[in-house]
Amino acid sequence: MTSIELSGVGKTYGRTHALADVDLTFDRGVTGLLGPNGAGKTTLLRIVATSIAADRGEVRLLGRDPHRSHADVTAVRRELGYLPQELGYPSDMTAFGFIEYVAVLKEWNDRGRRSQEVRRALEAVGLADQATVRISRLSGGQRRRVGLAQALLGDPQLLVLDEPTTGLDPAQRADLRRTLSVLGHRSTVLLSTHQTEDVAALCERVVVLAGGTVRFDGAVTDLVATAVGRVWLADEPGGDALVSWRTGTGRHHVVGGTPPAGADPAEPTLEDAYLLMLGPDADRVLERP
Amino acid sequence: MSSLSLPASGTAGHRAMAVIEARRMARHPVFLLGVLLGFVVLGLYFVLVTDDSGVPAVLSLPLLGAFYIGLTTVIAAALLTRSTEVAVEAVATAPGTEARRTLALAAAGIPPFVAGLAFSVCLVVGVEVIGVAPQEWWFGTLPDWQVWSIVLMCPVACLDGALLGVLTGRWLRFRGASAVVVVALIVVTLLGQTPLLETGSSEWRVWVPWALFHTGDNADGTQTLIAGNPAAYLGYQLALGALAVVGAIWHDRTARTTRFRALVAAVAAAAVALFVIAATTGNQDNRDSDPIPSRIAG
Repeated sequence: MTSIELSGVGKTYGRTHALADVDLTFDRGVTGLLGPNGAGKTTLLRIVATSIAADRGEVRLLGRDPHRSHADVTAVRRELGYLPQELGYPSDMTAFGFIEYVAVLKEWNDRGRRSQEVRRALEAVGLADQATVRISRLSGGQRRRVGLAQALLGDPQLLVLDEPTTGLDPAQRADLRRTLSVLGHRSTVLLSTHQTEDVAALCERVVVLAGGTVRFDGAVTDLVATAVGRVWLADEPGGDALVSWRTGTGRHHVVGGTPPAGADPAEPTLEDAYLLMLGPDADRVLERP
Repeated sequence: MSSLSLPASGTAGHRAMAVIEARRMARHPVFLLGVLLGFVVLGLYFVLVTDDSGVPAVLSLPLLGAFYIGLTTVIAAALLTRSTEVAVEAVATAPGTEARRTLALAAAGIPPFVAGLAFSVCLVVGVEVIGVAPQEWWFGTLPDWQVWSIVLMCPVACLDGALLGVLTGRWLRFRGASAVVVVALIVVTLLGQTPLLETGSSEWRVWVPWALFHTGDNADGTQTLIAGNPAAYLGYQLALGALAVVGAIWHDRTARTTRFRALVAAVAAAAVALFVIAATTGNQDNRDSDPIPSRIAG
């Protein structure tokens, strides 16, 4: 069974088309959503997380239409973990207290098992030793991890994470990658991020959104392959390059445009491919074999 | 499925949520401040106001508990309600509905109720220890059920304060909403009954959320017991609290089922009926006590 099926899904805010006729399906594994601000990533994730309804199209989650009945949406939510982009926290609660509160809402009714699960979730995000600290006293990164912990409760079949790595230091990001890679073997993990390296390190599949439409949907390696032959290391910045910058070695990393004189072809990164995908030559990039 | 009909495992879940909310209220600094003030003021009253005849105007003292504990509880409960809603996008995508969260929040009324009950017990015990003037409206001059009904208005008002706070937190989102509600509550309580107290229609004052049944000492040393049925009024207060809960649950559109609408109507009807009973039964007219010599002014 496909975990997430979106067909012809659209969402409009006033005159802004946040999503336009999006067709996507997701199964087990970790998929990264990339796109500039306003691309529709958060709208897409909120629809999948049953937080908002699509204006058009069909949404099926775990084989159910979440807006058909209260029973259907409840059944989906029992298998859902969701980290919103901006999550507020009750200032009077400790990390443990907040996660326990969400655990109760997620129907962890047995007190002993609930406490055990809350501790497990806090350990998974490296906050076990901060469990009794009030959330208002935690740092921004720690609060983000509290949000992650509530999403991880019960190893959900659907895990929807909107910019989960924001505010995390490199070690914490590495820990999160480890946790999500394990979860990805048995769950459908959908995450949005601006960090292409997180997608490169973690996701087998990447979807690039821009202007509410899908610009790319495929394997990470396939997206990187679209940039082969369009990235160079040169002594001069590229005149018509999409973007170029001076690296630590003193040479310029040139993405797109025509290669400067004496340029050496460079191994493209996912970020290079992503930038090319969103640049003015995007259509040409997509037409490449 | 109605969002109020819990699944098989829901009762345990609801109990767990209720325990969490009650615990949060019990630790809330605004509530704790109100409790502290209530007991300190009661203690000071016993120490500073008591005269040779005993504790004066005993039946007006439940007002102290209702004022300090009940009103601060409105603010505390509203803050509790709003505080979890800052995480609404995460909690709203969990299986538990807003209606269930609201119902659990009603359990935040348990600590104020217990505090109000403790206040009432302290009042009764303190008065028994210190003593009262024989003319005082109290056990002996009034039927016990009337005394208990007036004394127990304090814990019920404290409970209602929490429920009103939940209602406020659900519907009013602007900053300082709970403070505005507290002020409005005081104004309505005063303006809704003060003009009626000395009239022949004083029993109709009982529509307000805190009806006075005792005037305190009059200048001639008497005390006035105001008309109405305090036991029915206690029921009316409870019905007002229930209305606050269903009003808060009404905020969740998914909860507005036919059965729930019927429940709202039934609670409203009960409140009206209890109001009418409170106004038309019990003491028909205001009654003055015999004068207490030590309290005659001048």
